[in-house]
Amino acid sequence: MKPRDMSAPLMSRQEKIITGFWPWFLQRVSGFLLIFLVGVHIWMTHFSGLGDVVRGHQEELVLFEIVKQRLAQGLFIFIDFSLLALVLYHGLNGMRNILLEWGPAARHAAGMTAGLWLLGVGTFIYGAWALLAFIL
Amino acid sequence: MAFSLRALSLHAGNFQDRYSGTRSGWWAWFLQRLTGVALVGYLFLHIAVISTARAGADTFDTVLIILQKPFFVVLDLFLIAAVLYHALNGVRVLLFDAGIAIKQQALLFWVCMLLTAVITGVAGYFSLPLIFRE
Ligand code: HEM
Repeated sequence: MKPRDMSAPLMSRQEKIITGFWPWFLQRVSGFLLIFLVGVHIWMTHFSGLGDVVRGHQEELVLFEIVKQRLAQGLFIFIDFSLLALVLYHGLNGMRNILLEWGPAARHAAGMTAGLWLLGVGTFIYGAWALLAFIL
Repeated sequence: MAFSLRALSLHAGNFQDRYSGTRSGWWAWFLQRLTGVALVGYLFLHIAVISTARAGADTFDTVLIILQKPFFVVLDLFLIAAVLYHALNGVRVLLFDAGIAIKQQALLFWVCMLLTAVITGVAGYFSLPLIFRE
């Protein structure tokens, strides 16, 4: 296969037309924001408490009380809810892109998109309800 | 190799246009897809696990203590590697969308691989005390 013209954009025009401009653009924006949100999330849950666990001041990295204390701060409530919403949007929009490249799904694009939104909103509500166990 | 894995990718037409036509370009794209789908699967599992908090603090702690045993700490390192690769290559794609460094795409793929390996290695190093707990 001969190398393609490297000066052209990597994404085909066809793809932009199939998935639409906004989903394409928001996939980029949500991905960019997730770098920070996922970064903070993994750092706080897996690494910031490591010293305390190693020195035996704390039993485990993640326990109910620890999460509860973290979520007593407004900043972490904001981070966790934003993370939940954005990661669901980004992940399911990514699945939509993949599915739309597949003929049978592409023929039912509108229904599939509606289904994914339903799944996303439903999961957000479920996830928010789970988080509220630590907050309320 | 690239050819046989092609069928796996559910690709329907614009395959050639998707990647640079080089091997690293194909792998970059394939790994982005593989990690993306794996992370979506993990996301649903993760939300299900965290929702055990609804059954009370004791239930949550019982589940979380099991999930922090050495075996799962090792699995977490794979998760970290997947997130790192996906995020780094995501930035690589963003650069190309902005018309930056397209000609260096192969080099940047290896930069992503290297950074993923190094940062996962550092995370693994700091996790050693958890992996070799009594
Ligand atoms: C941490 C920061 C992240 C960044 C910077 C990022 C960036 C990106 C970008 C730029 C794309 C589009 C790739 C393309 O069109 O060629 C993408 C695709 C995707 N992402 Fe992410 N992402 C991140 C996290 C996540 C997470 C946590 C998940 C899972 C919940 C996820 C799931 C997906 C999926 C399923 C795709 C579609 C893959 C494909 O089209 O082959 N991403 N990501």
